[in-house]
This record gives sequence, C-alpha cells and structure tokens, in this order.
Amino acid sequence: MTLEQFKQVWAKAAVKTEAREKDYSALDAAAGGDGDHGEAIVAATKALAAAQGDDFKSLLEDMVSHLESDVSGSTSSLYGTLFEGMADAVDAGKTELSAEEVAEVFAAGLEELGFATKAKVGDKTFMDALIPAIEALKAHAAEGEQAMFAAAAAAAKAGSEATAQMQAKYGRAKNLGERSIGPIDAGSASNADIWSCFAEG
Amino acid sequence: MPMKKFMNDPANLTKELLEGLVGCYSDIIDLYNEKIVVRKTPKAADKVALVAFGGSGHEPAMHGFVGEGMLDACVAGDIFAAPGGEKVFEALDYVKRDAGTLLITLNHNGDRMSGSKAMRKAQKAGLKVVEIVIHDDIAQGPDTPIEDKRGLGGVIPFIKVVGAAAEAGKSLDEIVELANKFNEGIATLSVALKIATHPQNGGEIGALADDEMEIGMGQHGEGGGGISKMCSADETVEKMLPSLVKATKIASGDKALLLINGSGSTTTMEMLICYRKAKQMLEAMGVTVLPGKCDELLTVQEMAGFQMILCKCCDTCAGYLAAPANAPYWVTR
Repeated sequence: MTLEQFKQVWAKAAVKTEAREKDYSALDAAAGGDGDHGEAIVAATKALAAAQGDDFKSLLEDMVSHLESDVSGSTSSLYGTLFEGMADAVDAGKTELSAEEVAEVFAAGLEELGFATKAKVGDKTFMDALIPAIEALKAHAAEGEQAMFAAAAAAAKAGSEATAQMQAKYGRAKNLGERSIGPIDAGSASNADIWSCFAEG
Repeated sequence: MPMKKFMNDPANLTKELLEGLVGCYSDIIDLYNEKIVVRKTPKAADKVALVAFGGSGHEPAMHGFVGEGMLDACVAGDIFAAPGGEKVFEALDYVKRDAGTLLITLNHNGDRMSGSKAMRKAQKAGLKVVEIVIHDDIAQGPDTPIEDKRGLGGVIPFIKVVGAAAEAGKSLDEIVELANKFNEGIATLSVALKIATHPQNGGEIGALADDEMEIGMGQHGEGGGGISKMCSADETVEKMLPSLVKATKIASGDKALLLINGSGSTTTMEMLICYRKAKQMLEAMGVTVLPGKCDELLTVQEMAGFQMILCKCCDTCAGYLAAPANAPYWVTR
C-alpha cells in the first residue's frame, strides 16, 4: 500500500461516514448513547483526511495531532491512540508498506489502544469490529493486499452485526443494562464502513 | 418534533458559546488557544492551580467556574464530548508551576481517556500534576465500584471547596488530602421528567412517557435508574434523599451542603420547593444544613429534572465553602 493510497482511503472514509452520519447517530441514541456518534466519526475522519505527511510516520503523527487537538470526544481519543501506536511502529522514510507491514502496523496500533481501553470483543464497542478486522489482516496478509483488506472488511462487518445481541459494557450505554440489547453499536458500524473503504481500494 | 432553539450553524455551537462567555465576563476570564477558558488575572505562581475539562452543552459547567477561588483553567470539548488529551495537556502546560496543579476529571469513559493521555504527556514534560476523579453518582447503588460511578454535578461544590484551599495557599499534598476527603463525602442523584435533545442533530436522548419520571438517569438522560410514575415534589425528594444520606454517611451532628442543580428546563420555583423538603428532612435528622444553592450549575439542554447533590462537610470544608469566589457562575462574597 502506498502513502497516496492510504490517504485516498481516508478521503473516501470521510465521504462515506458523512453520508451515513444520521444512521450512526440514530444507532447511538437507540443503544443508549447520547446520539452523536455520526457527528463524532465524521469529525474524526475529516481530521484524518486533512492530515499531511511525506512518509507514513509523519502522516500518522499528523493524524494523531489533528485528532487529539482539533476534535473532541472518545471516538477521536480512541482513533488517536490507535494511530499513535501505528506511528510508533513504522520506520521514518517509508512511503510504501507491504501487506505484512500493514498488518504489523495496525497490530501495533491495537496494542497501544489496549492502554486506553479495556474493551474487548463482546463489550458492544467499536472494538467488536476493529479487533476481528486487524486479526484478519494478520491471518490473510500472505494472500496479498486485496484479499487481506477484503477479509478485514468482512470480519469487521460480521463483528459489528454481532453487537446487536450484546449488552453494552462501556460508555454511556452501559448504565442501561439489558435495555442496550437490540441495535448495532454505532462505533462498530462506522468502523466496519471504514474497513470497506480499505477493501474498495 | 423539530428543535426550537436560538442557534446558528450547529457546527459552531462551542466556538460561539465560548465567545459569548468570555465576551460577557470579560473582567474575569479570557480565552486561550480557542477552547481553553483561563483567568484574566492569573493566580499567584506560588499557589496550586486547578484545571478541569469537559464537553460543552452543559453550561454553565464547566467553563463557567473559572475565576478567583475556583478554577484556573478549563478546557471545553465539543457538545457532550470531552476535549482530546492533547488539548487538556495544553491547559496543564499553560498553568504549570512549581507549586503543582490538580487536574479534575469526571468519571466518564471519554473524559478518563483524555485525562490519562494528558497526565502521560504532563509526566513526560516534567510537570507536577495530580489527577483526581470525580465519581459522585449513586444511581447504581452506593456499593457500586468507584470505576462504575459517573461524575455528575458534585464536581461544582468540589471545585468551590478545593479552589478555596488552593487560593489560601495550601500545598499540593494538603490539597490532594482535602480533595480526596471531600470527594468521598459527595453523593449525587438525578431525576428526569423530560429527556434532552442533542443540539447538533436534534436527536432525542432516551425516552420517557408523559406520565413518567426516572431517578438516576445520569448526565444526559441516558438511562440507568428506575422509571416510575410521576410523583409530587415531596414524594420525589422522599425517594431520593435517603439514598444520598446513606451514601455520604451523614448523621446527626454533621454539617452538610445541599444543592439542587437544574438540568435545563426545570424552573427555580420547582428547585426551591424540592430544596425545602430535603432541608426539612436533613434537619429532622439533626444535620446542620449549610447555606446552599438552587441553580442551574451543570445542565443538559432542555432536559427537565434536577440533580440533588449532598456533601458531607468538615469544619475546614465549611470554611472553604464560605470563602470568597468570583467565577462567572459562582460568586461568594
């Protein structure tokens, strides 16, 4: 994956999430959140798409800085931590990553995220899409970039859909208990849509 | 139902409300780096600084409590969203001093992440900062683990008491000790009659029927307590106060601060009626009720309801409550 392709994915993610902004907010409100995940993820993807950099490291660092000083809310904090771990894992000067390197960089981001949240698969958060997607990257990297991203997108979508049956353990919705069962988690839905942007290339 | 609100582009709500705040209270506060409300006249550098942060849409909290005897700086996030950790660090860096800084974080997932991030950055930068987490909500029951108790309006009297101690020149160690002690003795319970709407998208947060109320619905009406049929003012207070007394362990002979914090569309008349009943009940127990407040301190747009905040006060804390303060939305003379 080239630097230019990576930037293009985020430009596409900004457009895609903006088109579904109202859907995400409705899911957030339905599951007991405060109903603004649409605004939150659009602000985050726009900040990511606006970031600049001549190599992966500087771009990822700029993405973190945009997310954590220009945007508010836990969505941006979580994505900011993910990208911080990714930036730390990539060598300066790189403008192209192999499929294996993409998988490694995302895995490092996920590890960093573990310091910010204890949420795991099954807790009805965006981790239900993110964790299976990054595991799919690792499992399918040997099959090439296209197959790898297709597998990640499919895993994220399945993970997100499974959240409908889950009871929220994190965020504002957790206080609802069983009343949070039913709707898909909004953060997992937008994360799955972002992975589909990677798959579409 | 479409929103009926005085606003412009929803994307500019935070920017415009902060312009209004510092414009109106231009003798007390100023704006730094767009989202950080700071004192116009900084506190002496040899005194401990207090920094808080939180989403906007809850005005006058938290940025309305920057000023003498209260906060030194407060970082505003977007509507209902905690500012990022980088932004909170900017505030810590702005007030940095050898005397040290107390960072006040409300226990919500987003706020905790930003607080932790800012603390990691502050440590790297060699700043002397201690973080304290406010977790006064007792909606889940007084035995709930601290990590699961949300931070609600109890943060405002906390800022008043600890802010006065800082203004009095107490050391960071002394302030942390006092802060922990006062924090342990705060309990808050909320009740909602009508749910809030999100001012950026008009979406309704939660659901309550016309003849229902909910005790313990949290900051934004996101649910969590029990829904019941609508009660009278006295019945509502009778349902709420005993839990607060139990959580704070307030008993005969103790001093207590009682606050009724309106959520946004409950009138001062209603707040005063509820206050009166709660004070009567406390006095009947032999508790000395200190001068309090019935006001909008930490609101949620048009939510109807209030938070009842009860604080156990030692003599030292009672003295700090009475000490002078001059913030836009809390003045003690």
